[in-house]
Amino acid sequence: MSQYLEVHQTHPEPFSPYELKLSGSIQEIFGRGVHDLPGLVSGLNDLGLHAPDGSSWTQESFRDEMRRMGR
Amino acid sequence: MTTTDTTTTPKKPKPRHAVGTRRTLTAEELSAYGLRDRWYPILPSHLLANGAMQKVTRLGVDWLLFRDATGRVRMLEDRCPHRSAPLSAGQHLGDRVACRYHGVQVDGTGTVVAVPGMPGCALEGRQSTPSLAVVEAADAIFAFMPLTEDSEPTPFELPDRLQQEEHSHFLNYVEWAGQWRFYMDNVLDPMHGAFLHGDSHSMSGGDTSARFRIRETDRGFFFEKTDQRGKNFDWVEFVRGAMDHVDLEIPYGDEAGPGGPFGIVGMSVPIDADNVAVFHWRTRKVDGWEREVWRFLYRTSLEEKHFAVLEQDRSVLEILAKDADTHEHLYQHDLGVSRIRRLYKADAKAQAKILAGEA
Repeated sequence: MSQYLEVHQTHPEPFSPYELKLSGSIQEIFGRGVHDLPGLVSGLNDLGLHAPDGSSWTQESFRDEMRRMGR
Repeated sequence: MTTTDTTTTPKKPKPRHAVGTRRTLTAEELSAYGLRDRWYPILPSHLLANGAMQKVTRLGVDWLLFRDATGRVRMLEDRCPHRSAPLSAGQHLGDRVACRYHGVQVDGTGTVVAVPGMPGCALEGRQSTPSLAVVEAADAIFAFMPLTEDSEPTPFELPDRLQQEEHSHFLNYVEWAGQWRFYMDNVLDPMHGAFLHGDSHSMSGGDTSARFRIRETDRGFFFEKTDQRGKNFDWVEFVRGAMDHVDLEIPYGDEAGPGGPFGIVGMSVPIDADNVAVFHWRTRKVDGWEREVWRFLYRTSLEEKHFAVLEQDRSVLEILAKDADTHEHLYQHDLGVSRIRRLYKADAKAQAKILAGEA
């Protein structure tokens, strides 16, 4: 029989380089033990990662983005 | 004085067929193909599109899943009541399917609604194909698998973490070429986490030796380490609810962010005697931005890491000998395994007695 062994079951579409970079950066900051929202947002800015509109991340813009991508 | 002889010869037990089969299963066959009279997860919801039909084999029986025009899922034995052709080879007609062989139309309740080749034939109006009770919840299709045609579905209730709002979850579904019982043995054996998954993203912590105990609950039992908690796969709860399932927690590394360990609600459904479909809901008790970030990270990264761990299980379970669970040398870590086997053996015997007409 053919077995169902799909790795990616929660997102049929591939991710954009931006999404992967954001994901990797968030994990890098979390990996340092920083688990609060202000620390995470400033960590993203320190890494030189920009919000979708090209400006620095704010807690509001980060939450907006996560509401969209983390449903 | 005359007396009436009231002794009667005992009635010969009347064997019964298990639903979807044409024979009486023995306890050994029930053990091999799966126990009945309980709810099982059947397929992830997203694998059955609107207006679609899907053939699945579960507990050694071929079934047809179809989603009717209103989106409701139906599950019938995949067998036309006329000449037994698979209904899955036929045509979806909205609220019914038409057999490819002679066009016999069967609705979602298993009732023949039309025999186009012979209108008015006695088959029309007869409920002659087994139809299972189906519930769609937690991103999956569940069905009550009856032992006999008299079996009444028990109330459907999801495991705790899947019905509590504070837990977010993702479903993972896989099919393994291994016996369903080996899946149950595996999850009732937390100690394999420190060895088989020792190099994984979530189970590299803690000791590689431990003492275990069984703690009874009113719905099953915990099998847990006595000397370590929160470091690895340290405990598992087996629950006999509406459906048998396991519940456990495994710590995440710092990189997975706030929210503590992730939980697993695990269930399996036998495909046949040698293959099993496995359902794992990965859960996390998270709220607000933490919930959204976890869900984002899960999709972009964690899902793949979790899958790699699951593949480690498959790599061992698929190469176990078919009789791997005979003549073993179990030790203290296998108390959970022994318990679950005893429980299922007793279930199989009880169900075989019912089929044999002895209970």
